[in-house]
Amino acid sequence: MPFREINSKMVEAVVAPGQRLFSQRGAMLAYRGEVSFTPNVQGGQGGFASMIGRRAAGEAAPLMTVEGSGTVLFGHGGHHIQVINLAGDMLYVEADRLLAFDGTLRQGTMFMGSQGGVMGMVRGQVTGQGLFTTTLQGHGAVAVMAHGGVIELPVTPGRDVHVDPQAYVAHHGEIRNRLSTAAGWRDMVGRGSGEAFQLELSGSGAVYVQASEEKL
Amino acid sequence: MFRLQGSKTLAVDLTGDAVKAKNGSMVAYDGRMTFKKTTGGGEGLRGMVTRRLTGEQMTVMEVSGQGTCYFADRASEISLVALRGDTLHVEASNLLATEAGLRTGTAFTGLRGGASGNGLFTTTVEGTGQAAIMSDGAAVLLRVSPQYPLTVDPGAYVAHQGDLRQHFRSGVNFRTLMGEGSGEAFQIRFEGDGVVYVQPSERNTVGGDV
Repeated sequence: MPFREINSKMVEAVVAPGQRLFSQRGAMLAYRGEVSFTPNVQGGQGGFASMIGRRAAGEAAPLMTVEGSGTVLFGHGGHHIQVINLAGDMLYVEADRLLAFDGTLRQGTMFMGSQGGVMGMVRGQVTGQGLFTTTLQGHGAVAVMAHGGVIELPVTPGRDVHVDPQAYVAHHGEIRNRLSTAAGWRDMVGRGSGEAFQLELSGSGAVYVQASEEKL
Repeated sequence: MFRLQGSKTLAVDLTGDAVKAKNGSMVAYDGRMTFKKTTGGGEGLRGMVTRRLTGEQMTVMEVSGQGTCYFADRASEISLVALRGDTLHVEASNLLATEAGLRTGTAFTGLRGGASGNGLFTTTVEGTGQAAIMSDGAAVLLRVSPQYPLTVDPGAYVAHQGDLRQHFRSGVNFRTLMGEGSGEAFQIRFEGDGVVYVQPSERNTVGGDV
């Protein structure tokens, strides 16, 4: 596992020759050894076509490639960091929440609007997450940022989890997500409970929720 | 029924009963839940008038259903308070959730409120059950007994419980007027028997400026 949690807001990554990491640009705090940081124009991997895809999707987080041999400390904005280990499954996360991830993970962009038709479109707008999200797949570790601590909630068939869109951080596994509304006439007249929109996650996997309604 | 998941998330297991929580503080739930807005600061018409007049209008929602509901607000640290028929005084902005059996009301705090940056009124919670209060940084619980009175900074005060009398103390003197104040011009002194919750952070107060 390349990431070691120093405290709740810092992770240490070991870089060895022939191994590389991607991290959010400017997230390096300190390093030991011979490590080079190259800004990644493409904003990730996957060649020119996926770069265009990311640009168009607005999921082009400025990334840098970290190579060499040594240890690097990462942290950003005092946000809490959660290390998620992937064993072949796919992680869905917003690009601006990604702090660092293994170079062996395949990065992609996913059109969320395709899930749930028109409601999927609405979902992106309501949650402020846009219509696209970043996916990471393979074997490796990902460091994800969140405001406040993160709790992991398991999702199993028959046990759906509902999440406040603003507190949603990431999810992995075979999960369908759908925007559910509890908007009744009370919301129309301005007496809503503040929980008019919820993300309904069903399937099997896990969802990560932060202890705050603040976007990064 | 209330339990903490980490120090910043409150998990509440519901089996058909209800809790009252700050509007919009739900972060996740499983099972079935319904959210309904209610109003804090006392029930009925009298409560409504008090709320309007006092500005202590906390918007509360009533959550009911079956399953587990998770609450959190702006990554604040959460403390659980158990009430056994006594009264908890808490600033409305620091109250996260209360069990449905607890009554909430509004009380006049006098001069203290003006200096603590919270207005002249405070929220009271009484009955038997649990309440969750939140603070900027982990709150410390300070015990007050008749021999040991306690003085706190109004900006760091979160809540108090028990049989306590409070006095407002002002340290304004000639130096303060000259702009040489220590930043601790106002304090609240608690006497009696009970506990006071204090956060390791200060709100912007009038007292902090002078």
